[in-house]
This record gives sequence, C-alpha cells and structure tokens, in this order.
Amino acid sequence: MKSEKLLSVQNLKTHFSVGNSIVKAVDGVSFDLESGKTFAIVGESGSGKSITALSIMGLLPNNLAQVDRGKIIFSEQDLLTLEEKEMRKIRGNNISMIFQEPMTSLNPVYDLAFQISEVIMLHQNKNKQDARKIAIEMLDLVGIPEPQKRINSFPHELSGGMRQRAMIAMALSCNPKILIADEPTTALDVTIQAQIIELMQELQKKLGMSIVFITHDLGVVSEISDYVMVMYLGNTMEIAETNEIFSNPIHPYTKSLIDIAPQITEEKRKIQVLKGEIPSPINPPSGCVFRTRCPNASSNGKEGDIEMGLIEVKPGHWVDRCGVNCGHLRT
Amino acid sequence: MIEIKNLKKYFPIKSGFFNSKSGDVKAVESVTFDIPEGEILGLVGESGSGKTTLGRSIIRLIEPSEGEIFYNNKNILNFNEKDMRSLRKDFQIIFQDPYASLDPRKKIVDIISQGLKIHTTMNKQEIYNKVKSIIKEVGLQEEHLNRYPHEFSGGQRQRIGIARALVLDPKFIIADEPVSALDVTIQAQILNLILELKEKYSLTILFISHDLSVINQIADRVMVMYLGHIVEVASTKNLFSNPRHPYTKSLIETAPQIFRKNENKILLKGDIPSPINPPSGCVFRTRCPHASKDNKEANIEMGLIEVAQDHWVDRCAINCN
Repeated sequence: MKSEKLLSVQNLKTHFSVGNSIVKAVDGVSFDLESGKTFAIVGESGSGKSITALSIMGLLPNNLAQVDRGKIIFSEQDLLTLEEKEMRKIRGNNISMIFQEPMTSLNPVYDLAFQISEVIMLHQNKNKQDARKIAIEMLDLVGIPEPQKRINSFPHELSGGMRQRAMIAMALSCNPKILIADEPTTALDVTIQAQIIELMQELQKKLGMSIVFITHDLGVVSEISDYVMVMYLGNTMEIAETNEIFSNPIHPYTKSLIDIAPQITEEKRKIQVLKGEIPSPINPPSGCVFRTRCPNASSNGKEGDIEMGLIEVKPGHWVDRCGVNCGHLRT
Repeated sequence: MIEIKNLKKYFPIKSGFFNSKSGDVKAVESVTFDIPEGEILGLVGESGSGKTTLGRSIIRLIEPSEGEIFYNNKNILNFNEKDMRSLRKDFQIIFQDPYASLDPRKKIVDIISQGLKIHTTMNKQEIYNKVKSIIKEVGLQEEHLNRYPHEFSGGQRQRIGIARALVLDPKFIIADEPVSALDVTIQAQILNLILELKEKYSLTILFISHDLSVINQIADRVMVMYLGHIVEVASTKNLFSNPRHPYTKSLIETAPQIFRKNENKILLKGDIPSPINPPSGCVFRTRCPHASKDNKEANIEMGLIEVAQDHWVDRCAINCN
C-alpha cells in the first residue's frame, strides 16, 4: 500500500449486551483507508457492516454498545479514546456520513437551509448569511437545480434522488477527509442510483476525499470502489483490490456472492445457491463462522476448531485462514 | 391464458369541501398484452411506473377503470362478486414485504389454511394434510406450522407466503417483487424455489420486479413499463441482447454489474414525472437522451409496433434512434 493511510481500523470489536447474552456484531475487523480512495464493505444483512461504520463515527449508544476493544486511528489519535466533546469536532467535520434512507435521515420539520447551514455554523465559525451562501454552493455542487430556491424546500418536497443529493451536500459541506456512505443508493431506482454513483465519483475527484462505501450489491462495488472487504457475521472474510477480488476470489463466501449475483450480461442458467441463512450473532458457530453454510465444509466439522484470522495470500490480498485452506482443497 | 385489452386505471384525486374531483393519477394507460399458459412474464419498471397497479388490476384487487381482461376466453370484468370469488382460487399473489403480508397474530398453519377453509369443502384433517405437504414443498418443516410469523427470518417468511399462494392449486400467480426485500443469497434460494414450483404445478406467473438482472434469470418474456405505458415487450433473450427503446437500453446499461465496466453509459437525467400530469405525447420524452429540440415527440401518439417477431416497441422509440 503506497499512498497515505488516512484511517486505520485495528481489530475493532463492537459487542452489545442484550439481556444476559452478548451480540458480537463486529468481532475483530481491521482495515486501512487510503486518502482519495474508496473502500467498500460488502456483506449480507447482519454481517456487521453498518455497525463498523457507526463505531468509526462514534454514534453507538454507550450504555448498550461496548466498542472498547481495538483501535480506530485517525490523524494520529485513537478515536475510541476520545471524549464526546472532542469527537464532536471530528464528526461531521473531518469524517461525515450519509445514510440509506434519506427520508428518515433528514429532519422533516426543518428546511434544507437550516439543516445544511447548521453544520457549517457549528464547525466553521460562520455566521448565518455566510453559512447559507455556502449551503447554496453545496446544493449547486451536488447538482440540485435552482439551489437558491431549493434551499428553502422541506425534505418532503424533494424526490428520493434529490433528498440523497441534499444529504451528500450536507455531509460534504465542511469538506471532510472521509465520507462514510451506508447503502446510499439501496433505496433508489437504478436510473437514480446511477446518477448518485456518478455524482459521488465526480465529487471525490473534485474534493479528494476518501469514501467508505457500505453496500450489499457487488455490482455497485465493482463500479465505485478501489478496495473491497467482504464481511460475514462480524468477521472479515477477504480484503483485496476490487479487480483482484472479482478476478481471483479465494474465500468460498466471496466466491458464492460473486456466483449468486444476478447478471444481465449472461444467459439464463441454474441459479447458484448458498444453503441456509446467516446464523444469529448471539450464538455464532465456533471456529470459522462461515462453516455452517460453507460448500467446502468438511464432514467431521474440523472447521469448528479453527481460529479465524486473515492471511496475506498475495501482496494486498488478505483471506481468512480457514478460507485459504478449503479453497486450496477444492482447486 | 390471460388476455388484457386496453386496461386502464385512473385513481381520482378528490379535494375541497365537497370532495369534488380535481384530477386523476393515471397509473395504468391502455395496456394490452397476453400471458400464454406456463409462461413467466417479467414486468419491469421504476417505482411509480404502474407495475403493482397493473398486477393488482388483473386479478381485480383494484377495480380497473376501463378495458377487458379475458381469462380462459371469459371477460372477468363482467363477473359478479360470487363468480369472482370462485375464480380467486385460480389467482394468487405473492407480496414483496414478507413482514407486512403475514398476519402477526395468526399461526402459520392458520395463515396457510385460510384459503382452503373458504374455497374448498375439505374437512379439518384433509386441510391439515394438505398444509403439511405444502409447507414441505417450500422447504420448511411440519413443526414450523405452530409458530407465529415473528419467529421466522425474511426468507422463511417469503417461503410461507409462497406456500399460502400455492395451497389452493392456483393457475396464475402474480409475484409482486417477491425477492426485493431479501439478501442475495436468500434471493437466489427463493428464485430457485419459484422456478421449481412453477414446473411442478405448471403455473403461469406475472413476475414484477424493478431489478433487471433478477428478471433476466427468471422470466421467459419481459415487458418494460414507464409511467403507465408499456414501452417494450420481447423475449428475455431479445430484450437483453437487442433492446430497442432508449429507456430499456438505459435500464440495462445503468444496472451495476460485476464484470462490466461501463464507462460511457447513458445516464437518464431527472426523475420519473408525476402520473398526475404526465408529459403529452411520448411520456418518456422529458428524460429521453434522443429527444429532439423542437419537441415533436409531444405530438406523437404512443402505441406498440412489432419490430421483429414478438418484439414490440413503442412507436416513438423506433424513429428516435
């Protein structure tokens, strides 16, 4: 990895206590984000993608979540050790986030002018007029037509695509170094999704921020990201450059995800199937968490004793230990 | 098996003190097509294109405003309520959201057997046996029957929804986005299940989806809908290898794909217009990359033309490229 490390997540563990049991939502995740690059996190619902993002942002409730193990290094400080007051200076300023559902993440009772300039006034010490001017510039930047007029709109007056553009405008208004995008296009139609993806790529070129892009859609990943991390049940299964992971996937879970993804470009075929469903994170399988669904799992259950951990199989291509071996057995 | 002629559905907009009509939401505009027996017909389009309204109008869950629907050569729009009820046994629907479509206070056995109680003269034991066999058919176990919907995952619930639809041995099923709410691995399982059951029970299916790649996997023929109009119909193979309408083309090109880096894809500008006040002439013209400057598309009357065998495209699109 040549370029500068902007954010380094090291062995992050986020556990929730629910009643008497502990939900290991994120259980030892490590990755580096380089400046100006896009890092995608892929996985099914319940794999811990969003919790990873919320842990970085420090947005999880302290009384429920224990984000106490691991490190999140950003500009030489560990975000996990910061006080809420210090974290507030980083959140929305240096690291900001956009969410999946723009209708629920914008405040319905305030107009865009208020919501966008609030961030600018808070982090950049601007007065109301200047903040409003910047807000209008931001709306223009994200391709909202007639920004002077639109800035007075309320969220319900905008379409889904426009709302997501407004969210992006808000997130980028303080010129963050990192944008965390949690399934930003999942709720949108494909034609609108394509517009938003193009917009994000354009803005990344213009503003030079890094993006952590969370999605369940491998097609979107291949369009937008430089690196991919595949997550399953709170664990990392595989990390590699985007081209590498699609041309040379090693972990059986990654392989299945790629096999299963419906394709337009090929003719009908028997759809590949991965059996069963993602197990509960309260009581995950011992050893390799993927073993209960793994097509290569041995009949004697020896994967139950394997300790999980990433191995570098090629420079920059990391695969969970168990996946490396069973991949070799197969090919 | 099913023939639809000039089907139209307008929802009136009422406003003011006397609830006077102030306009219409033109959800489905003069749609004509047929579904031969044993076919999976895919219906694809963005939100607001009228897919769901069309699906529901066909089985009269929504009363169409105009048109004719022939089922086995009888126009079901002339049926009275009693005739319609006996027909409902042949028509079933699988819904998108498996969380909202199962009654949370009923056990699975009651959810699945309700149709049998209404439509058949079976006794309790016969009903139970039938339910038991159908639940195994969709990949669940007998012991699941005494549980409640909240005890199941999304994929399992969708299996229950399928069991409920199948238990009456229907002829025609409308699957309204049945896999959109599911993860890809579960989506693949459910698609396979639908394909298997379709063969086994010789079903005819109208499969509604916004996802072209899902349609590509499951449908024999595809209809593309935009703002209440069908803009292109063709066999799945022809539609994907040789799309003719600019809307179809852009849907295919903008769908993100793993093994395709599409650098110069045609992005559609803007959003789908409101069906309350759709563009005159060709409804797609406001977003069409080929639209002319002098707006002559506004005077074109829409209508499908057969450009190759069984490949129909809206008139306006044939000239614009």
